[in-house]
Amino acid sequence: MSSVTIQNVTKTFGNTTVLENFDAVFADGEFITLLGPSGCGKTTMLRIIAGFEKPTSGSVLFDDRVVSSDKVFIPPEKRDIGMVFQSYAVWPHMTVFDNVAYPLQIKKVDKATITKKVERVLDVVHLAQYRDRIPSQLSGGQQQRVALARALVAEPALLLLDEPLSNLDAKLRESMRFEIKDIQKQYGITVVYVTHDQTEAMAMSDRIVVINRGVIQQVGSPKTIYNEPANPFIADFVGKIEFLEGRVEAGYIALNGCGQKLPYEGDAKGDVIVGIRPEHVKYAEAGKGTLHGVVKTHFYLGDVDDCRIDLGGGKELRIIADPYESIGVEAGKAVELDVRSFLVYPAEQPGEDFRRILT
Amino acid sequence: MQTQLQRSKHDPTETRCKLTLLILLLLGAALILGGLWGIRQYQQSGFDQEVGYRYIQKLSGEVDRLYTQSIQPVMAKLTDAEREALTLQAAGLLKENWTAAVKADQSARADEMLSGLTGDKLQQKTMELLSITYSLNGPKVASAEKKQLAKWTDAERSQNREALLRAVLDESAPLPQAVASAVGELTGSERAAALMQLFLVSANAENEPLPTDHVNSLKKAARNAEARISAYEMTADGSVSLLSQLLISHSRTAILLGVLLALDIALLFLMLYKDHSWHLDFKWAIILLIVDFMLVFQVLPMVYLIIKAFFPEGSFTFDVFQRLYTYQMNLGALKNTLIAATVTMVLGTLIAFPLAWLVGRTNLFGKKFFRSLFVLTYMVPPYVGAMAWLRLLNPNVGTMNQFFRLLFGLGDIPGPLNIYTLGGLIWVLTTFYYPYAFITISRAMEKMDPSLEEASRISGASPLLTVFRVTLPMMTPSLIAGALLVFVAAMSCYGIPSIIGAPGKVHTVTTRIIEYNGLGAQGISDATGLAVFLMALAILILYLSDFVVARKQYITVSGKSTRPNIVDLGKWRVPLTVLVSLFATIVVLIPFATILTTSFKIDVGKSLFDPENFTLTQWQTIFSRSETMSCLKNSLIFGVITASVGIVVACTMSYLLQRTKIRGRKLPDFLITLGSGTPSVVIALGLIMTMKGDFGVNIYNTAYIMIVAYLIKYLMMGMRTVVSAMSQIHVSLEECSQISGASWTRTMLKITGPLIFPSIAAGWFLIFIPSFYELSMTTLLYSNSTKTIGFQLYEYWTFTSQPQSCAMAFGILMIVVALNFLLNKLTKGEFSI
Repeated sequence: MSSVTIQNVTKTFGNTTVLENFDAVFADGEFITLLGPSGCGKTTMLRIIAGFEKPTSGSVLFDDRVVSSDKVFIPPEKRDIGMVFQSYAVWPHMTVFDNVAYPLQIKKVDKATITKKVERVLDVVHLAQYRDRIPSQLSGGQQQRVALARALVAEPALLLLDEPLSNLDAKLRESMRFEIKDIQKQYGITVVYVTHDQTEAMAMSDRIVVINRGVIQQVGSPKTIYNEPANPFIADFVGKIEFLEGRVEAGYIALNGCGQKLPYEGDAKGDVIVGIRPEHVKYAEAGKGTLHGVVKTHFYLGDVDDCRIDLGGGKELRIIADPYESIGVEAGKAVELDVRSFLVYPAEQPGEDFRRILT
Repeated sequence: MQTQLQRSKHDPTETRCKLTLLILLLLGAALILGGLWGIRQYQQSGFDQEVGYRYIQKLSGEVDRLYTQSIQPVMAKLTDAEREALTLQAAGLLKENWTAAVKADQSARADEMLSGLTGDKLQQKTMELLSITYSLNGPKVASAEKKQLAKWTDAERSQNREALLRAVLDESAPLPQAVASAVGELTGSERAAALMQLFLVSANAENEPLPTDHVNSLKKAARNAEARISAYEMTADGSVSLLSQLLISHSRTAILLGVLLALDIALLFLMLYKDHSWHLDFKWAIILLIVDFMLVFQVLPMVYLIIKAFFPEGSFTFDVFQRLYTYQMNLGALKNTLIAATVTMVLGTLIAFPLAWLVGRTNLFGKKFFRSLFVLTYMVPPYVGAMAWLRLLNPNVGTMNQFFRLLFGLGDIPGPLNIYTLGGLIWVLTTFYYPYAFITISRAMEKMDPSLEEASRISGASPLLTVFRVTLPMMTPSLIAGALLVFVAAMSCYGIPSIIGAPGKVHTVTTRIIEYNGLGAQGISDATGLAVFLMALAILILYLSDFVVARKQYITVSGKSTRPNIVDLGKWRVPLTVLVSLFATIVVLIPFATILTTSFKIDVGKSLFDPENFTLTQWQTIFSRSETMSCLKNSLIFGVITASVGIVVACTMSYLLQRTKIRGRKLPDFLITLGSGTPSVVIALGLIMTMKGDFGVNIYNTAYIMIVAYLIKYLMMGMRTVVSAMSQIHVSLEECSQISGASWTRTMLKITGPLIFPSIAAGWFLIFIPSFYELSMTTLLYSNSTKTIGFQLYEYWTFTSQPQSCAMAFGILMIVVALNFLLNKLTKGEFSI
């Protein structure tokens, strides 16, 4: 098992900078997710760790061993890594057994050991009965597990997963999440996982590295990322959020446009952006709410009520409330709202849209 | 549900549909019967060869010229009485010949034609008619005698021919030595006929009273217009309707149409039956039209060849094939072909795989350049390569041989290398056909998901081990497909063995077929046997590669657009680049340069740097010679027509294959694939044997027969290009246009058309280029008025001037390169060949 240290890695393709000054340390046995919109550079980072790309500058270390730097470059086959590709890359001309045995055969492990190890890992991924099939006879999910078994069989120090669940259907994706997490615990292996799906990241990771436009936005536990997003981009990318502009006054924030006031005791000054997650808004009894408005749209989704409230002056707020509590709410009705918590960021620089997600 | 089923059983459209089929079937039967009746009528109507005479008279003053130049002057030497007697004699022979030819007394007919004529007019007409008649269907003069006649000097000829005429009149008159044996023991009218024939045959130094070409058009005219004229004459009696006239004049065509119609109805019925739905779809008309075309011009000739091979005289025998194995010439050709094709396949694939890998998947220097260079070879006519290598490796004056002799101090002996051998043939075949494997393998490599190789690397395998454990096994199906492609191409090639093999006595099946074709009945029979052998082998391999290998092809295309994984060659980068450059220099640059330099030479054996030997006249000559220019014009016209017709069919087929589920759409596809897999020589041989009118189509010696042959051979290239482009365009793009309110036509014009335009352009060029410089089929199908630039070049190479031929070859090369450039610009870099 090993830790991964990424020091100041920059990667450019021609004139485009894909990664900029990427600095991170992944601890031994940690499940790390690189999360970001497509094109943010997360896959490039993974391929740099794997050794399929050379960083333009900066270095990568496994424990104390330098694998990529200005002077040293260790090719992928000498890095002792397991990797699962987005397309699974299961070789169509080999059986399941041969696919999984391949890394051991390359290492010239003796046959008996190979059989033992392959059977064990096939057991772990629940494919023992398919060992003699060829990949075209397997479903997508099974192929994905073959790829996982092949990545694990040589007991590598590090496992890289490149959006391994993106080609599976929703149900299978959910169950595979837990299986992968289970296997990681079983092997105690360091995992670097790449995805653009925030739910996947939240469910599996010890820590998440949020990347946008090649730059690390925030590193932290799922809880930190969700509750204390470092900037509006992260707040918007992870979970649902509505932004309102306002100005900090003594004891409250005056919201622009609608003229309503939100109680605030924090340190921010001047113009701010207020981020409010819909699940942090509740209906309040008449006269006791901090905000008031008129229900504009109302969607009953079974487990929740998803409504938009017109705060006046063209400003709106989304609320996701327990249907039990919102009995009697309907479009056109005046309501009062309680905001349990919200995020405050300094106002944006002119000409910059913080929510814009580059693709 | 129950009621719906009930209703559909009594669907009125079903009745209407079945009724239509029945009517069409009856129409087919009527056509067949009508045609048969027409043939019978015609057979009863009498002699037809005079029609040929009239035809040729209309076409040219050829017969007139023949008479005034070579018959009249000799006859003028006779006395008036003799001339009169001779004319009478000739008229007698004419009647006799006509009667023998149509198995009915034709005296009246001949009299009718000659009636009202007297003196010189009578004499001229009689002699002309006889001359035509003999050239169509006269007593045969053995080629030995013909050769003798050719040796006469002009004075001897005039003297001997006069003697021949006198001998016709008088059995006791002395005969010229050369013809005595030809007449031998003959007496009476047989003797007179033979002598008259000899007189007519010896009219000029070419040994033929009329050039072959004219005899051919005469024969054609006789077949074509025969019945029409008879029918006309019958109408003159006021008893024949227009329909009967048509049936008589086009009897065989009517039968062919009838049979096709019946076949179409049978197919249609089968499709409707399998569909369990009785709705006639317009698309079937298109499918059946293409099928009919392929049936007539592709299947019929092939079937005819097979029948001729097994039933040469009408009854079943293996004689033809026995001759293939017992006759040394044939056996040698068979062996050479198989050895050459097999070795070329192995060598070609061994060269192509590493090249494809180096150029496609590594950081080799200049790989794009190398790629275009290798692929360009694919578009160069193979005979150009043969010409170049002949100049390079001629044992005596070959540039490379001279260089080697100098380098190794071998002295003034021939060699060390000799192109005129099987080895030489294999070498040129390999350098010209490895691109087939190269292209197939390159494409597969580009399509391969790079993560398959990355997975191997991350599993601990080095790049080289990855090539052997993953890349190579995954490439196996494409490797086999590429190898088989090389085998078929090498086996079917005519251009290279005809240029290298002929002087070196290294014969292959293709060169033998073309030689045999000119050699009478036995020759045709041998040619048929070889052709059937070649065809069977080609189709077997086609089946193997298309239907077996293609199915095993691993589907490795991932949904994501993939950037192929580039392997760093490290310290091998420079040496390997040097090696590939060396290969490219030897295989591409040196031959092309040789063609260019040879075109500036006077003596091909001497150096270009000898100032005495440098000239521009070769180029001036080819540009100023009207024949070359008219050949070039022919080639361009045939190419443009073939490509344009072909691309329309290709687009239609693509639409049917990719956008409809109509039953039977694979049938034309299958026939087109079959056609392109058939060796060129076989296609051409089949066409000349069946397209002379015997089966209702007479396009022999016309431009049509060449265009048809090119279409059969090259249509698939265009079709595959358009089909694959269309398969890349998701149908939702079209549906989206239609949902936006656009009509089908508008959708095709605004959405599908622009999206696949690059492929349509590429498809057009892919049909045009090989049609433009075609040689193998042209050699069999050309006539004096339909010679192409490829054939002209071959003629010049063999008979006239190698430097001029090289100038033409370089011209063709430039045209191909220019077209490639144009295509690249036109498709914005998406396509070049």
